[in-house]
Amino acid sequence: MRPFIFERATSPESAIAAFHADRATSFLAGGTTLLDLMKLDVVRPERVIDINALGANEIEISEDRLRLGASVRMADAEAQEELRRRVPMLTQSLALAASTQLRHMATLAGNVLQRTRCPYFRDVSWSACNKRLPGSGCAAMAGFNRQHAVLGASDACIATYPSDFAQALIALDATVDVVGRRGRRQLPFAKLHVPPGRTPEVETTLAPDELILGFEMPIEPWMSRSLYLKIRDRDSYEFALASAAVALEVDGGAVRQARIALGGVAAVPWRAREAEQALIGRVLDEASCQLAADIAFAKAQPREHNAYKPLLGRQTVARALLQAAAMEA
Amino acid sequence: MKRPPTSQPTTSSGATAREDGVFNRRHFLVGTATSAVLPLSFGTTGVREAVTDAALPTQVPSSSVALLVNGRTHRLILDNRTTLLDALREHLALTGTKKGCDHGQCGACTVHLDGEPILSCLTLVASVEGRAVTTIEGLAQADGALHPVQQAFIDHDAFQCGYCTPGQIMSAVACVEGDRAGSDAEIREYMSGNLCRCAAYPNIVAAIRAAKTEVRS
Amino acid sequence: MAIIGPVQQKNMGPPHSRIDGRAKVTGAAPYASDFAVGRPAYAYFVTSSIARGRITGFDMAAAGQVPGLLDILTYETMRGAVKKPTFFAGGGYAGTTIRPLDGPEIFHDGQIVAVVLADSYESAREAAYKVKVTCQAEQPAATFGSAGATTEDAADAKGHEDPAVGDIAAGLAAASATVDADYATPTQHHNPIELFTTTCAWTGDKLTVYEPSQIVHGLKHGVAEQLGIPPDHVRIVSPFVGGAFGSKASVTPRTALAAIAARCLGRPVKLVLTREQGFSVATYRAETRHHLRLGADADGKFTALSHEAWEVTSRPDSYLVAGTDTTARLYACPNVFTKVHLVHVDRNTPGFMRSPPEVPYLFPLECAIDEVAEKLGLDPIELRRRNDTMKEPIGGLPYTSRSLMECFDQAAESFGWARRSAAPASMRDGDWLIGWGCASTCYPTALAPATARVILWKDGRVKVETAAHDLGTGAYTALAQVAAERLGVPVGQVTIALGDSDLPPSPVAGGSITTASVSSVIAKACDAIRAKLGVNDSALIDPGIRVAGFERLGVALVQEYAEFAPHGAKPEGIDKLYAGLSTLKGGAMLEDRIQYAFGAEFVEVRIHARTREIRVPRVHGAFAAGRIVNPKTAHSQLMGGLIWGVSSALHEATEMDLGTARYINDNFADYLVPVNADIEDVSVILVPERDTQVNPLGIKGLGELGNVGTNAAVANAVYHATGRRIRELPIRLEKLLA
Repeated sequence: MRPFIFERATSPESAIAAFHADRATSFLAGGTTLLDLMKLDVVRPERVIDINALGANEIEISEDRLRLGASVRMADAEAQEELRRRVPMLTQSLALAASTQLRHMATLAGNVLQRTRCPYFRDVSWSACNKRLPGSGCAAMAGFNRQHAVLGASDACIATYPSDFAQALIALDATVDVVGRRGRRQLPFAKLHVPPGRTPEVETTLAPDELILGFEMPIEPWMSRSLYLKIRDRDSYEFALASAAVALEVDGGAVRQARIALGGVAAVPWRAREAEQALIGRVLDEASCQLAADIAFAKAQPREHNAYKPLLGRQTVARALLQAAAMEA
Repeated sequence: MKRPPTSQPTTSSGATAREDGVFNRRHFLVGTATSAVLPLSFGTTGVREAVTDAALPTQVPSSSVALLVNGRTHRLILDNRTTLLDALREHLALTGTKKGCDHGQCGACTVHLDGEPILSCLTLVASVEGRAVTTIEGLAQADGALHPVQQAFIDHDAFQCGYCTPGQIMSAVACVEGDRAGSDAEIREYMSGNLCRCAAYPNIVAAIRAAKTEVRS
Repeated sequence: MAIIGPVQQKNMGPPHSRIDGRAKVTGAAPYASDFAVGRPAYAYFVTSSIARGRITGFDMAAAGQVPGLLDILTYETMRGAVKKPTFFAGGGYAGTTIRPLDGPEIFHDGQIVAVVLADSYESAREAAYKVKVTCQAEQPAATFGSAGATTEDAADAKGHEDPAVGDIAAGLAAASATVDADYATPTQHHNPIELFTTTCAWTGDKLTVYEPSQIVHGLKHGVAEQLGIPPDHVRIVSPFVGGAFGSKASVTPRTALAAIAARCLGRPVKLVLTREQGFSVATYRAETRHHLRLGADADGKFTALSHEAWEVTSRPDSYLVAGTDTTARLYACPNVFTKVHLVHVDRNTPGFMRSPPEVPYLFPLECAIDEVAEKLGLDPIELRRRNDTMKEPIGGLPYTSRSLMECFDQAAESFGWARRSAAPASMRDGDWLIGWGCASTCYPTALAPATARVILWKDGRVKVETAAHDLGTGAYTALAQVAAERLGVPVGQVTIALGDSDLPPSPVAGGSITTASVSSVIAKACDAIRAKLGVNDSALIDPGIRVAGFERLGVALVQEYAEFAPHGAKPEGIDKLYAGLSTLKGGAMLEDRIQYAFGAEFVEVRIHARTREIRVPRVHGAFAAGRIVNPKTAHSQLMGGLIWGVSSALHEATEMDLGTARYINDNFADYLVPVNADIEDVSVILVPERDTQVNPLGIKGLGELGNVGTNAAVANAVYHATGRRIRELPIRLEKLLA
């Protein structure tokens, strides 16, 4: 960890004002990603601005809308009884992530901005990592890549995007509320992250001085038929090998609307829109669920140790859809 | 050690003896001056000389922190990089909180921050100013009476080596007091952020179940 | 969730709670890195990022500018400072003969290449990351089959004898059912939660080392050897050890470096390795491959067992696992062939990890028995019963006691084995496939010479002093119970000092020998006290008799030092013990008999029919290990062992980047061990057993008995659930998909 100047911000405005474009600056919220990567010398801020006192920690639920403040702790959002009932996918994606202690620390904005778990990224003694050192190569391609992405990756980077909660946000068409030097703006959550392409070091569309203030989304009655299914080696405290966030609007036995997002298998938050389309108007049964699952992974590009992921991913989608179909709406 | 004749007295250290500050600098100067066994320096040429001039502590960005631990306020000036875990262990001599991974992957460093279980290894000490930290040393009452969770851990043999135990107990206290011990499944999930390599898990669950009854009554 | 026991049964002591429990639940128990040593400097290692090659230069410019930096040690100035160590597995002290900072050669990934010393931990870490090391890398060999790996017979390398009897070809020809298959077990790391730490402080020319250790007298002599100083100038302090599992039994290169650094700076030095560094600075369980052939006749009698194995070790060291000593002797079989090979690659030297030979070697045998049973249409327990024996087949030596089938009967009853539907993939609960499997477990009963001093005061207080070790095993409590029982006082009146090299030496806390060996010597010292007081061997010392004895002698205390050497030990065993060397006797190493502890392990797996994740809702084990001193702590050890076994079968593998021979998952997020949510019903049954031969107290060890059979029990259960026979550990969901 390199030495840094430590400052506290008490409002979004003071946080942005404290930001220095000419010095590497990091915002500190829960710290569960930042401190981890600073100790590993992967992230080297010269200034750290503590934003834990700037507010943005309310949860607002109305008849048809939800707003989650950026600084809300995962544990507090997960414990919301009304949210559990009305959008189970959302609270499940939080409850199945990390550990009790980490969920008490980590904020919702920090969660969606967490960095990949790729071991070649996290260990600076590996010289080839395009995400960490642009142009240096990718050691994971020919290395040990059991955790790596089969969707949305590129020839420059196959790192997996690790968040569970982000899959719920992208599935539910959330928007992100952002503030920076140039003022406030809103963008669809699906536009927050960018696929690695040739520039895997660029992970989001946020400007360096921008802060997330919160997430907003419509809530509709049918969203109570939703769930987050996470498949992993052990039963808790592990990142997903594959996961699926699914929500279904069913009308007279046929699907009117489907939402499917995939975790653990893709380079960015991943919405399987073609698979969703394939379900519209169909009855949910083994065949239709398998069809949707096949479409979701039609373009998967596996490598040596993650060759199992397309099949695991398809089984996860099918299982999640059938489980959701069996739920009481 | 020489093999003693029978019944020879010996010095010994008790199982729980602490050895505080028995070494001081003067001993070392005497020691190094008289020792012919080991060379005095293996320093890389140039490095040692260069740093003696450059290494002024004021060059490291630091913060003055009022740290509230177990009801006592400690005023410290610390390197901004200091984690709460290292502050407790290296600066306050509160070594009950353990380092097992330093990256939020094992739970051994769990403490309470304003009553909630958090990982002290991923917390900058500068960021907890004004908040209440409780460590394993702050659980028992002043008269030495153990917290019901501590007693239950002894009764149910909920540990072996004991190294993860302070972290387990801090999580367990939060589990019981936060009313999250409704079923064995709920306890297991709540406690899954605390690895126990000796694998005392079933006994930990049994201890929490018992402590819950104790705390309620 | 049912926990059976711990209740006191025949030939068991009382289930006393740990006497060090209060210290552990209050944070007061001092582990090595908890000791305060004035104003320490902090050490941080720089380690190699290549596995084979040479260092060509260091650039210290950036590191040298770090405020608070005190010094940086490298081979350029340290060459020759650390003397050549003797290899633990060759009768010495060190886990590797690779000398730290002794030259530019790189033998493995993670080798120590520089020691950064600074005023604070933060500065030391910063400077370590700023040290630039340039290397000339060569292509390393990572594992079996890698270019450049070299293979040798263990018989040649180590003088190992491959046990064999009869005619294996004839035995296979006579079989009506055979299994001929290859099996693989992975690299695993002990990963105790306590990190590898060392604090060194000099007083004059005397060195005190605070380091978690399974062998304080060995560490003392090993460090003295590496520093070239008299052993009496070194003291090791290690009263509490945060888990070890074999990783703290041999001397690592770190200790000498911390000692030299402290001497250079004239100031104590504190070193706490990172989790990652521990993977390559300490040892690990060697990766193994097996070719196993097992034949049985139509009656289910084994006709042939051939067990050939290959094990990974480092370039310079021939660390040998060789579990064929056990597998060749476990069942009656007239024709046995075994052979072990060592494969040298560019990795750090492996070492002991909980049940070192039995865990990787029983896996293929106990799986093959399951396979043969199915071919014969026999229940796998019945097949084991038909080949149970009181005489091992290689030398015809008698087992001192063997309760294997009693363990199977009790565990099968507890588990409900009779309700098992034998056909694979025939049990199901909704979307979950259910599988039940079982396996034998065993562990050699060995002992080693030990010494102790016991003091009894007139008022009934007792002090026991011996440099044994409590790794979480419960040694403090069990040993106090032995003294209390022998001297007729409550356990609460016994204080006990362990883990300090100023105490009379005890052997390594390895091979499950501590309770049997150290209890034996404590009992001997207590008996000498009784003799002084004029109390004969069988009578209890009640307070009245005790006080009368003291008044007759006219003293306030009676102190006795005793030495114990087990059956088969040579007279120089005690001298070796004082030199920090443990000479283990027992198991299959005796000339007149064979002594083992046994058990039976049953596992239920649930495997999701679609996504194939594997869960283990139930593990039941029954174990017989002679006299049980404390059923409570014994229960915990066996329970922990069973969970270790599940972990080994399903989770644990140290993954490598094969092209570079580097560890990939060297952290607790990626090296998976079970969390609380993974473990549900773990039932331990203690089967009463009396063995009058193993030692005067009839104690067998059990710390390593629990995790031996579990790999196979899980694999057999996975087969039963799915019809898939997985012969490569760990069994992960991708092996069951498609």
